[in-house]
Amino acid sequence: MLVYLDNSATTQPSKAVVNAVASSMREGYYNPSALYAPALAAEQQMSACREAIAGKVNAKQVFFTSGGTEANNLAIFGMLKSLRGFGKVLFSAGEHPSVRETCKQTAKMGFTPEEIPLDQNGLVNLSALETMLDNQVRMICVMQVNNETGAVQPIEEVSKLRNKLCPDAMFHVDGVQGFLRIPMDMVGLQVDSYALSGHKIHAGKGVGALALGGRGRLTPIMFGGGQEKGFRSGTENTPGIAGLRAAIESFPARHEMRKLKLRLYERQKSDIDGLVVNGPPPESASAAPHILNVSFMSVRAETMLHALEGEGIFVGNGSACSSRKKQVSHVLSAMNCGVKQAESAIRFSLSPYTTQAEIDIASDACVRQYELLKNFVRR
Amino acid sequence: MRELLMVRYGEIYLKGQNRPLFMKLLMKRIREAVAQRDSKVWLSDGRMYVAGFTDMQETIARVTKVFGIHSVCPAVEMDKADFEAVCSQASRMMKDLNGSFKVTARRSDKNYFLDSPQINSRMGEYILNHNPNLTVDVKNPQHTMNVEIREFAYLYVEVIPGAGGMPVGSNGKAALLLSGGIDSPVAGYMIAKRGVELCAVHFYSFPYTGERSKEKVLQLARTLAISSCGMRVHIVPFTKIQMQIHEKCSPEYTTLIMRRFMMRLADRVAQQEGAQALITGESIGQVASQTMDALCCTDVVVSRPVFRPLIGFDKIDIIDYAVKIDTYETSCLPYEDCCTVFTPKHPITHPKLDKTQIAESVLDIEALIEEAMQGIEIIEL
Repeated sequence: MLVYLDNSATTQPSKAVVNAVASSMREGYYNPSALYAPALAAEQQMSACREAIAGKVNAKQVFFTSGGTEANNLAIFGMLKSLRGFGKVLFSAGEHPSVRETCKQTAKMGFTPEEIPLDQNGLVNLSALETMLDNQVRMICVMQVNNETGAVQPIEEVSKLRNKLCPDAMFHVDGVQGFLRIPMDMVGLQVDSYALSGHKIHAGKGVGALALGGRGRLTPIMFGGGQEKGFRSGTENTPGIAGLRAAIESFPARHEMRKLKLRLYERQKSDIDGLVVNGPPPESASAAPHILNVSFMSVRAETMLHALEGEGIFVGNGSACSSRKKQVSHVLSAMNCGVKQAESAIRFSLSPYTTQAEIDIASDACVRQYELLKNFVRR
Repeated sequence: MRELLMVRYGEIYLKGQNRPLFMKLLMKRIREAVAQRDSKVWLSDGRMYVAGFTDMQETIARVTKVFGIHSVCPAVEMDKADFEAVCSQASRMMKDLNGSFKVTARRSDKNYFLDSPQINSRMGEYILNHNPNLTVDVKNPQHTMNVEIREFAYLYVEVIPGAGGMPVGSNGKAALLLSGGIDSPVAGYMIAKRGVELCAVHFYSFPYTGERSKEKVLQLARTLAISSCGMRVHIVPFTKIQMQIHEKCSPEYTTLIMRRFMMRLADRVAQQEGAQALITGESIGQVASQTMDALCCTDVVVSRPVFRPLIGFDKIDIIDYAVKIDTYETSCLPYEDCCTVFTPKHPITHPKLDKTQIAESVLDIEALIEEAMQGIEIIEL
């Protein structure tokens, strides 16, 4: 039996998604901009998805993109370009590279990117943020859920500070790891833009969206046929969007991810002496229901990952996007956890479809492999 | 008239009575290199020719990688009777060039109505009259139009250097200890270049290394296999041996004992493969297991000669070589080196053989070797 616990890297497309994508390719393949009737149906399919997203996060507008990375790029470059003058662009030290690197690029446009420090649990340090906020701040980027540690960021508090100290600054939230798993009310929280990705919620790869709140203003960063009201040119990925809609509509409203995550953690903790959590305490509200990041001290993450792989269990080490690079995770560094702890960090990420049986297989395997591997440490 | 490649061989030319054998082998290697490309390869007048290709650049790239070839010249073959037409073709081939040139004629058909000096001057004059951007310089020309009068007339300007060396298979077979690093692929290439057929031995330490690191090694082997005319890779399960060494032996000796196991296993694989020697990428003093004392301690466990072509190379020179043979980028992928668990903090640099033997005597060497040999996975490239 294969146990897949790397759902924050990507998810298996659900049956509903596969059917929706196939049906869109077979019957709904028309260019949604064309004038004949079947094209209109394709456009309506997109509108339904747009409404589904807007409904889930209480957004005013939704534009489809090729995924989370493009949505983050569009939000940051697109909103900054529509502003007059320059100033500071703040981003949390735990941001995904698609936000982090994009913010750093704004320096070339004349902005000043600055990093907001994290506390030891991987949460944005609000008192440090408060000292950074002034009328020079043009944009703040804080993710909803950290992709490595599962830390649920204090979006409401950040928004309040922004309203108090720099009300004109735009607030962008990368919701790729939070969408559908943690509630979001863009209008209520005065979030200006929100990025999401299909393949993290059992839709396919290559589709995502940028949602705008009440006052988000964009300038396009890609030019062409003027699709998506001119904000994202290029013929829309209709099969991907049909799949995204199916994923949203079929995403289980009730699930046991938090319970199962805690079960995984408790079972490991009781048998493994060298277990350290990276991120907020797993049972706390600031820990996401689906992500558990722990270090099996003295066993390198790569070794543990392969050992579990040998038992048919797939987990993540750090963020999958960066595991081709040989360096310690910037998120764990920002949390000041030592190099050894960072090098042993394994991320378990669940989906609403994860079962208790899978969690038990995984936790037993972790205990068994740790018992074996802990004897082979560098002397 | 047709386009073809004239292939010139290097060192084989110096061989005595074995020359026909080497020539035959080289022809075979060229045929393999251009296989399935509708190309014809033949030998005539002591020259090798390749014709019938659809993509000349691709064929040149493949042929120049064959060991034993000195150079390749893209040439035109045409009827020699109409000398005016030959001159006209030569002139067309030089129409885009400027600077100085000369014509060098060779005439193996001694009945041809012009001799070499006459060909040189008449063709030179023709070219000069048709391209005002050229001047004649017979001592240091920038371009040389080569004319060979054989059964046909052959014209060529460009000479593309080949890989050199000897055709693979002309000098036996050896087993290469292939890691994912920079050195071992270079060592394998250098020995293959001397005409040696290769097989590779890789030590696999799952879960300390994973599928990606294995794939990296296979990618390196595939790059080498282009020049070495295929290769069989033996993936030897090595984790149990490493764990036992780590558990039972004195830390400072673990690396050396591990190297001795690797050599023993490679020696066994060589035996099975009919290989007469081992190849490693070691260079004196590069790491603790590559000091003179350590090398002496590892050599004694094998029955075959160990070739270490990089023994006197600095790392920087090895890197240059790796870049040249297209293995450097793959070698630099990060999926390796996670065996640091098994690298002691202070490995012994001047080991004594008797102490090494005592240190490893706690292990059931034969049983471990036998078990590893049974678990070998063979991949044919």
